[in-house]
Amino acid sequence: MKYLLLTFLISTTFTFAQTDWVKWDAADPSYEMPVTAGRDYQVDNSNIGIFLLSGAVKTYHVLFSDVDGDNCPFYPSCSEFFISSVKNTNIFKGTLMFVDRFTRDINFFKSRTKYPFYKSGKLYDPIVNYTLNYNSINYIPHNHIVE
Amino acid sequence: MLWMAIIFIGSSINAQSNLQDENILSPNNRLKFGNYLFCGKDYLRAAHEYQEYLKFSNNDTVRFKFAYSLAAIGRSSEALDNYKGLFFSSTLSEDARLEFYKVNFLTLPIENFRDMCTMTGYLPEYHKQEVERLKLFTHLLDNSYLPDSTEFINTYHEEDREEITSLYLRKRDPEFKNPTKAAIFSAIIPGVGKIYTGDYADGITAFLATGILSYIAYDNFNADHKFRAALFAGLAVMTYAGNIYGSAASAQIYNAGIQFNFESDVKLFLNKKNYFIPSHDYLCQ
Repeated sequence: MKYLLLTFLISTTFTFAQTDWVKWDAADPSYEMPVTAGRDYQVDNSNIGIFLLSGAVKTYHVLFSDVDGDNCPFYPSCSEFFISSVKNTNIFKGTLMFVDRFTRDINFFKSRTKYPFYKSGKLYDPIVNYTLNYNSINYIPHNHIVE
Repeated sequence: MLWMAIIFIGSSINAQSNLQDENILSPNNRLKFGNYLFCGKDYLRAAHEYQEYLKFSNNDTVRFKFAYSLAAIGRSSEALDNYKGLFFSSTLSEDARLEFYKVNFLTLPIENFRDMCTMTGYLPEYHKQEVERLKLFTHLLDNSYLPDSTEFINTYHEEDREEITSLYLRKRDPEFKNPTKAAIFSAIIPGVGKIYTGDYADGITAFLATGILSYIAYDNFNADHKFRAALFAGLAVMTYAGNIYGSAASAQIYNAGIQFNFESDVKLFLNKKNYFIPSHDYLCQ
């Protein structure tokens, strides 16, 4: 019994004792912009047009956006805006909405004083404001934060 | 020394017995505390204290304050019921009726509120004019017809007329931008539609983006690079068309902003003027 107990104590000590003898140190800071958590890579197959567009945008996410980082200043991002605008309207109108958004995104003067902020710190720019349906516009003043 | 000890112990026992005699949750104490909270604008807790008090005694002033507190914390239907309880044979009937209209103004759809103002049964006897002012003011908050300016402005007090005239004119002649005009401007010169709606940076960006893409397309056509020329021409056309669309959308958003600011100013003005209802400062004196 005594030996059994001794064996048990020694074996647990060796098995579960500290094995990492490297001295703890401060981790190097990472300056990479984190990719938006929980990005959905599922391709939307509600119809053939949306399937192709969604596939192209998801490919862009995997090949470029995830590597480059989360750089779009808007919420929803330009690529998500494109898919949603096409889904909410049609391919023609949705494309025009996207081109307009993209032009506003590349604003050379970085003057974006008309948008409210989304809670993540990005500029809130919803699709409903650009469908040319006046009654659906959700106007929020610049100094507000959208939850 | 012994006497001092006896006096000390005796007074302590006396003090303790006094404490036991007084019920801190008595109706009168609740009323005093409720009044304290009410005057401190802590309406949530004041309503609770008044509710407890009213279980013991029915008092018109307390009921009015109770209703006022309920309205302030958003329990409108209960507030209206309590105001209605003061409509007849109460010295606070006039105040209750006015507050009744104020709560309805804040909760009912505007059309329904205007209908209610025509019902004579609820109108206060001596303050019909105040209700009329509130009713007339609703025309600034929806898209119904706008009454004649002289009739509208003369309904209000002399000292309010300047601000009311300004609000009236903003309602009658809003500084809206025409989306079609914005689109046409951008069709003529890319970006000008956005400049028209106040988005100067976006307008100049759109102009430069369309211009650069068009130049690249033109240059490639000249160099006989057909594919590249077609590609950049396509991009230029898309940017051009997107900018026309975006200019119309930008004008609509601008208009929504004008409307939003106007409605905010109207609500702030109404709040400042206590909805044209005389204040109840006497309740806290």
